[in-house]
Amino acid sequence: MPHHWGMAVDLDRCTGCEACVVACHAENNIATVGDSEAARGRAMHWIRVERYWEGEFPEVKVKFRPVFCQQCDNAPCEPVCPTYASAHSEEGLNAQIYNRCIGTRYCANACTYNVRFFNFYPPAWEKPLHLQLNPDVSVREGGVMEKCTFCVQRINAAEVAAGMQKRTLMDGEIQPACVQSCTANALVFGDLNDPESAVSKLAESPRGTKLLEELGTKPKVTYLLKESWHESRGA
Amino acid sequence: MDRRDFLKITAASGASATLASCGNPEHSMVRFIPEEELSGGVAVWKPSICPLCPAGCGMLVRVMDGEAEVIRNGKKGTIQMGLAKKLEGNPNHPISQGKLCVRGQAAIQVTYHPDRIIHPLKRSGARGTGPFQEITWDEAMSMLVSQLNGLAASGNQKAAVFLTKPMRDQRQTLISEFSSRFGASVPVTFDPLGDHVLRRANARSFGYDQLPTFDIGRSRYVLSFGADFLGTWNSPVTQSIGYGDMRQGKLQDQPAKRGKFVQFEARMSQTGANADEWIPVNPGTEGVLALGLAHVIMKAGLRKPEAVGAAGSQIAGWPGLADYAPEEVEKRTGVKAERVKRIAKEFANNGPAIAIIGGSPLAHTNGMFGALAVNALNALIGNAGAGNGESPMGFMRQPKPNADQNRHFESFIADAAQNNERVKVLLLHEANPVYGSPPAWRVRETLSKIPFIASFGSFIDETSILADLILPDHSFLESWVDHIAESGDSGPVIGLAPPAMHALHQTRAMPDVLLDASRKLAKPLGPPMPWKSYEEMLKASVEAVDPSKDAWKSAQQLGGVMPPANVSLPAPQTTRGGSPLSYSEPQFDGDAGQFPFHFLPFQSQAFLDGSLAHLPWLQELPDVLTTAMWSSWVELNPQTAARLGIAAGDTIEVSSNHGNLQSPAVISPGIAPNIIAMPMGQGHETFTRFASGRGANPISILAPMTEPETGSLAWAATRVRVAKVQSPSKSKLILFAGSLREHPEDIGR
Amino acid sequence: MSRAAHNSLADDLLRPVLHSSRAFYITAAILGTIVLCGLSTWFYQIYYGIGVTGDNWPVFWGFHETNFVFWIGISHAGTLISAILRIVNATWRRPVTRCAEVITAFALMIGAMFPLIHLGRPWLAWWLIPYPSERGLWPNYRSPLVWDFFAINTYLLSSLLFLALPAIPDMALIRDRTKGWRRTLYGKLSLGWQGTPKQWHRLESAMHLMALAIIPIAVSVHTIVSFDFSMAVVPMWHSTIFGPYFVAGAIFSGIAALNIVMAVIRKLLHLEKYLQPVHFQNLGKLMLAMSLLWGYFVFNERLVTWYGNTTHEMTALWSTQMGRYSPLFWTMVFCNFILPFPLLTIKRLRSITSTVVASCGVVVGMWIERFLIIVPSLSYKSMPYSWGSYMPRWPEIVILASSFAAMGLLYLLFSKFIPIISIWEMKVGEHPEIQIAAQVQEAEAAGELT
Repeated sequence: MPHHWGMAVDLDRCTGCEACVVACHAENNIATVGDSEAARGRAMHWIRVERYWEGEFPEVKVKFRPVFCQQCDNAPCEPVCPTYASAHSEEGLNAQIYNRCIGTRYCANACTYNVRFFNFYPPAWEKPLHLQLNPDVSVREGGVMEKCTFCVQRINAAEVAAGMQKRTLMDGEIQPACVQSCTANALVFGDLNDPESAVSKLAESPRGTKLLEELGTKPKVTYLLKESWHESRGA
Repeated sequence: MDRRDFLKITAASGASATLASCGNPEHSMVRFIPEEELSGGVAVWKPSICPLCPAGCGMLVRVMDGEAEVIRNGKKGTIQMGLAKKLEGNPNHPISQGKLCVRGQAAIQVTYHPDRIIHPLKRSGARGTGPFQEITWDEAMSMLVSQLNGLAASGNQKAAVFLTKPMRDQRQTLISEFSSRFGASVPVTFDPLGDHVLRRANARSFGYDQLPTFDIGRSRYVLSFGADFLGTWNSPVTQSIGYGDMRQGKLQDQPAKRGKFVQFEARMSQTGANADEWIPVNPGTEGVLALGLAHVIMKAGLRKPEAVGAAGSQIAGWPGLADYAPEEVEKRTGVKAERVKRIAKEFANNGPAIAIIGGSPLAHTNGMFGALAVNALNALIGNAGAGNGESPMGFMRQPKPNADQNRHFESFIADAAQNNERVKVLLLHEANPVYGSPPAWRVRETLSKIPFIASFGSFIDETSILADLILPDHSFLESWVDHIAESGDSGPVIGLAPPAMHALHQTRAMPDVLLDASRKLAKPLGPPMPWKSYEEMLKASVEAVDPSKDAWKSAQQLGGVMPPANVSLPAPQTTRGGSPLSYSEPQFDGDAGQFPFHFLPFQSQAFLDGSLAHLPWLQELPDVLTTAMWSSWVELNPQTAARLGIAAGDTIEVSSNHGNLQSPAVISPGIAPNIIAMPMGQGHETFTRFASGRGANPISILAPMTEPETGSLAWAATRVRVAKVQSPSKSKLILFAGSLREHPEDIGR
Repeated sequence: MSRAAHNSLADDLLRPVLHSSRAFYITAAILGTIVLCGLSTWFYQIYYGIGVTGDNWPVFWGFHETNFVFWIGISHAGTLISAILRIVNATWRRPVTRCAEVITAFALMIGAMFPLIHLGRPWLAWWLIPYPSERGLWPNYRSPLVWDFFAINTYLLSSLLFLALPAIPDMALIRDRTKGWRRTLYGKLSLGWQGTPKQWHRLESAMHLMALAIIPIAVSVHTIVSFDFSMAVVPMWHSTIFGPYFVAGAIFSGIAALNIVMAVIRKLLHLEKYLQPVHFQNLGKLMLAMSLLWGYFVFNERLVTWYGNTTHEMTALWSTQMGRYSPLFWTMVFCNFILPFPLLTIKRLRSITSTVVASCGVVVGMWIERFLIIVPSLSYKSMPYSWGSYMPRWPEIVILASSFAAMGLLYLLFSKFIPIISIWEMKVGEHPEIQIAAQVQEAEAAGELT
């Protein structure tokens, strides 16, 4: 059975530290757009930590929620792309094939999670910042859509390595950049087709929810809701 | 002749032949021989240490082969070299445990920053105006040495002084050794936001002059008094890892009972946003609250007063605490008496529990009282600070404390300003006091009078622009790095790593420059420095703590000397005690009538004190609570904003007795109506293309209030007034997010 | 009607083709300049990137896509109306049909430019064309954009045919009345038209077939354009009403455009004799009907959304009713409903001028309608954190302006090419009793048909 990659996000662990955000920039060659473009709403963050306020001072609470591509099994972004730039991979990822993208931006409009980002201008790295670019990840051209890939380059590398050693992948062997950096271990990545994987178990958690599940997109990311504290209750 | 030499010769002749034959500059590009063997496309992981904050997280650097344009021996060319590509936490390192914070992830941009100083510079215009001229290292070294020689010749070695950021590595030792052997003044550390008050309080209560280590993962109840321990305070990575475990247990384990976390603070921090209960407290009354909790615990008989040990003797009125009955506490702190009682009982009944104090509560004039009160509360419930593995709070064992042997900048600058301190040569290492000091300290004016300033910095900032000579340091990825952790584990943790890559630019490692200079002095140091290079010095330091044969080798491979290494060190004990304190009202600069608001600057998630504002990834990082990017902002309560007619995004003017600034307003439900808060980090005049001229600096309006016992800056003790600016000059608020709220009933239509 | 009258009709209608005034050159130059500005702006956009527009995260579509829907909508004026009028054999249609069909052709050409203009990498637009490529990849037939490609091309081809067929006798007329290059050119274009009964018969049958075929094509085109939106799970887009709603809006805006164009050519080309108040009145009635239909759809769309009361849709809805986009919404209601309603219903107010005023309102209102369908929904998608807004920037405004100029310019040039009112249809119309039927009988008698 092919792998079916998924993630779990434990909102009870997430601290809103945003290490994932910069880790993702560093791993995936995401361009910095600069202040004037950011002011126009063109900043690119494949993963973002959403923050929602609840209540009013002083009884105010905050909800953090890391949001990135949900790698939907029934993805709204895929059928709308006229050139198959947005396509489903055999391992269940919503692949974005940059070379095929002609920049209709239809996928980004169709995406209910707003996790797709567009290179409104050709991305630029002021020298020598370009020396940091990850050679395993293509640098996008202007006019091309991009999005979270679950660090597909790390998945591929691990699969190739495991294949050369003639063994199967271990659970936890692959860590996307955000998962690797997540200080509170709120992000867990793994194979949903492996019932023993940590992510499969978390996906079964009674705290588990999916984002905008009612729209039928079949997202592969499970969000484990924040718990409240009760003095008497053990775990 | 070996293969490499042969290749070098052929390449050199090839290059000159190419130079002769082609006019096209593209073709005249010299290709240098690789300095190391790397297979194309294959990543190598090398250890390093994050230099961005005092926590000292161990890193692994992903190094891959790449082509860089460099200058070697005065020739421009490209070289195939190992280039750092990505930083990850070092799983072997007990502090980072394979994780890094947001700033650590961005640290790689320090090395590749387009505005790094890439060769030595000599000032060529009026001081402070900016023009610098490129010089060779020989010229630079002789300038430095002749200045030092000049002082030695006139017997005025005391007129030389080092000014550094707080450091916890052998560079610190090297600078101290150099200073004392040369006869220079005691090195000065610039650390106005450092936790000196807490260290002193810990010495008084527990006998340890250092920051505490918290085992948050094992705690079932966490009370935090203003400490942004998941964001910027103490050792945020370790603490965040522990926080995750406190909530839901270790990843693969059966989760333990979920711990509770209560945060007391007047402005919701990133940490406070995660609290089960977030409780606003009047500024400067945190100590009252802590003793109120202790009062309830003792009165209810949940703990015996004797449990407090020596920490209780620091509190006047212990164990009766008559002044801290819950009703009294409510009057002073604004926290309801019932709530105080409930939380006190929960705290005492749901151990292991810890109380943490950090950040603004320590930055009041009565910060010492607050710290001692929280220490007493901790001691009362059994956190005596022994670090014996039983209590979730302890003090880390380490080779020796070093930071506090230096002189504090506060006293140095006061003396220098009054001409009591006649400094002739200032050696500046990565401190930016011109940016980071309250205006009343008159740092720029004072430093400008020093005849000769040499900087080892990698960037032109507000302080290094005053330098006459710049001797650019390697970046941390290009140099030997080490770090002695102060907190974060039971320890000891001595991080250490060789350079992860060759130097990109014409820079030299500061410690080696210093050692080189010491050998070039006309009058040799007495006695001469015992090390030829920094590497040698690090080797000696490792061998001193771990005498085993392969300690040095394994330290380089692992990224340090870490448990279970063959090291056994005591925690550095100091004498306890001091006269017991009772609560005194916090003093504020500015009349409450004229300046109705407390001004609360805070270290920003992205930039800390502002030293990281030059990194583009951090500039474009949306602040997690406000989602602001590339901006500075002022936070105020919705009621306050409505009363003053201020709408979100309006530019407002914040004025204190010591200055004023303009910044866009963010209206936040997580801040008390009498508080105006502002992140530090922006408002740089000169700090690379990414930070210069952007936003405003809250430190620039701070009053020079101090905590009396330590003399530390009481940076939360300034009062301000705010007003809407009718015609804003610049400063725009750039937000990433659209809505503050998720549910439509919350969204005002 | 006498032969002289016939000739005067032909003279009147041929005059613009054969003689160009100073005013023509000046107008053409002005419009041409604006079109050139638009083209240079497009090249500027291609050179620097789509970033020169106001598009952003999350409003990835703005003016360009609004223009696309708008112009495709305008294109429904012509062919569809002309086809319907032909089928029901409304005799007053005769001076109107060609005016209308020309609008279709050019509005479609202009509209079809916008999917190219809006691309991030327009130099790869040909990847939408289905052909066995070296990439081994066909276009994604599940994508409504590919449906657009087929629908618009089909509509464009059939509209051009629908315009060209009845122009043949007029081309022959020009051929016969001119000398030199015109004679050669129109000789070729008139495809050997001699006006034989057999030719007339074939033309009539072809026109009848085309008129029948083009109605479903036209309806499908704007339905498919509406699918660009309704196929996506975006608040207020994902609606079953969008197909007919878009078609109704398209016809509505198309009639308005036709009224304006007719009024302009009536004045400029001195065709008062042919384009009479009755034409404006009839089209005005039709427009009134469409205004009511459109109003019904808008009401329906909004009532259902409001009654359904789902969180995400309500946000998008309220943003247009009372929020950020409400000034535009209420302007639209004024332009499309409140303004045309009295002007077209109250008899005392009905005139060519008032119809044109109402039509101008409708064109503006329908452009705003397209904008309000696209932008507010994208601004308020399902995740409140990523809500945003949109403001156009100058390249989009210039390109919008130049699209109108292009319409004017193309129309102007076309009127120099073929009489803008079909001469032969006018002639036939004025002698209903000697219609083609007579000629057909003649032909049958001669045994030419069967």
